[in-house]
Amino acid sequence: MSQALIQAGSKLLNALGRHSDLIMQAYVSGHVNEQEYSKKVLEQLVQLQVLWRPEPQSPLRLKAAVRTLLEGSLQDERNRTINANIGASLASLKTLTEHYKEALHYNRFNEAHAHMSDLTEHVYQLTESLANSVRVMFSRINNEFGYVSSVEAKIRENELAQSQVSELLTQLECFRFDELSELAGSNRELRQLLVVALQQNFSKAAQELSVAQARLLELLGRFREFQGRTRLLKGFLLHMEQQPDFTPGNYANLSDVPVLFNQAGGMLNEASADVNNVEHEQDLQQLVGALTDIHRRQPDAEKHQPASEIDVSEQDTISLEKAPVQLAVEAYFCQVIDSGQPCSALTYYEAQQLDFDPEVWLYQVIGGYQALNDQDKQYFALDPTGEAHAIFNGNFYINDITLGLR
Amino acid sequence: MMSEAGRILSQLLEGKFICQVTDEEAWRFLKRRENADTLEPHLNMLNRTLASSAEGEVFFAAYLTLGEAERKTLLNQFQETTSSLVPLVEWLILVQQAGEADVPVTMGSAIRLNELQSVIEDTPAYAEQLEKISRYRLFNSTSVNLDGQLKQVFKRLTDLGYLVKPNTDKQIYLATGRIEHLYDVIKFIDETESLSLSEQAEAAISQGSLI
Repeated sequence: MSQALIQAGSKLLNALGRHSDLIMQAYVSGHVNEQEYSKKVLEQLVQLQVLWRPEPQSPLRLKAAVRTLLEGSLQDERNRTINANIGASLASLKTLTEHYKEALHYNRFNEAHAHMSDLTEHVYQLTESLANSVRVMFSRINNEFGYVSSVEAKIRENELAQSQVSELLTQLECFRFDELSELAGSNRELRQLLVVALQQNFSKAAQELSVAQARLLELLGRFREFQGRTRLLKGFLLHMEQQPDFTPGNYANLSDVPVLFNQAGGMLNEASADVNNVEHEQDLQQLVGALTDIHRRQPDAEKHQPASEIDVSEQDTISLEKAPVQLAVEAYFCQVIDSGQPCSALTYYEAQQLDFDPEVWLYQVIGGYQALNDQDKQYFALDPTGEAHAIFNGNFYINDITLGLR
Repeated sequence: MMSEAGRILSQLLEGKFICQVTDEEAWRFLKRRENADTLEPHLNMLNRTLASSAEGEVFFAAYLTLGEAERKTLLNQFQETTSSLVPLVEWLILVQQAGEADVPVTMGSAIRLNELQSVIEDTPAYAEQLEKISRYRLFNSTSVNLDGQLKQVFKRLTDLGYLVKPNTDKQIYLATGRIEHLYDVIKFIDETESLSLSEQAEAAISQGSLI
């Protein structure tokens, strides 16, 4: 490389750095606002081939090379152009290879070395441009053409992308690896460049492009569906505006209701607590314990009832009526007292022709005797007549009771 | 504890729509033929059957045979559906137009309430449209300010199952499969009544462009 070339290059890069705001403004807005910058600066940039004027009246614009550089480095999604000219690149590769082989043949090693580095540059350029094209394609697919708003525009963008993908795929067919491999011959370096590097990138690009193509078709389908839905909704509203009293036929009345309108009503309700289930006892207790406020419904009547008057008159005495069997027992005791003779309870029972159960009568007599206070009890003697049980000792069966005075 | 099948069965019996957005696990469960077959006898016992719409994206319980009572329920439902079509469609179009991407609301689309609100606030035509929508009986808003109207509309739509709010703290709503069901209903009406709605819309658009 000559010294002059290096100097010119660094001069250009310096100019780019110095006027970066101008260049970025031109990149974003598409042209340079010439009033804002000095004429000298603009002229310098035009001379350096950074800016150019497409027509005498039009404003200054960025050169395509600078724009491509920025788009590539910034990964700007506005970059929609895809360099699909693989055929031309391949032709130049072949030419350079011939140069290299010829130089080697005549032992001009310096020249061969220069050709080799040139060739390397071209090969990597080609692979990079391939990878770049695929990347651009995918970034557009991934944000679903977000840079345009309407669905129609998205569909157009999609169609453009599809044509670019198919163009790229046809260009990829230009790769003839048998030819390249023949060209490289037995030279190791050439084989590395022309066969290995290119083939790897080729297969990667082809694979990704086919995926991209499938995604694009899928997206197109979705956009078309969106379009259809939008039309459906708008058409419905339009129809309702034109015929406000439109009602669809009553599909629920048809003998065979379409499944869309056959939607069963909800039927499940909450279950209730089962207080008899022992397993739930713990949980229910916890629930009750966690209650902070029990909303008992207050009976309304209580609130509004006037205070009742307090009755202070003397209460009537209540006489408890005795049961007939008790009266009969009293009469029996009185008769024993009156006659002064002991008398068996059952004899009295028969004499008076009482109609209680005899056993109840006996119990009542014993009860009546026991109910007397101790002083009264001393006047009477109560003798049970009966027999001991034949087998079980200590059991005594009472048949009758004789009551007498002591 | 209730098994997964039991949980899904009870959701179906409650009259819920099951889609990928509302309950992904249940939706995956029902997507498998053999799982759906295990639920079918239980549903049949209650005169119901598993039905799906929107190309199998939404599941719900439908009646197996239609008697008097079932028809009555369906008639009520149908009347409700038809009367809510216009408000819902107007709402869908409003959301689509106010959204940046001009993409119709479909199952899974996220609607950010704050963004929507700021767009509607900045565009008087949308604000007017929202006011009109919120006054429909379906949404029944009495609010005079835009914020209240929008919140009421979204609350009602969430109650009706058209939207879900995955995070209660954030004002982001997801459209459910019921929206797809709604599209299906409109498509069905379009086809059965031969309204050719799409053609009407297209004709109106091309006429508009001529003027």
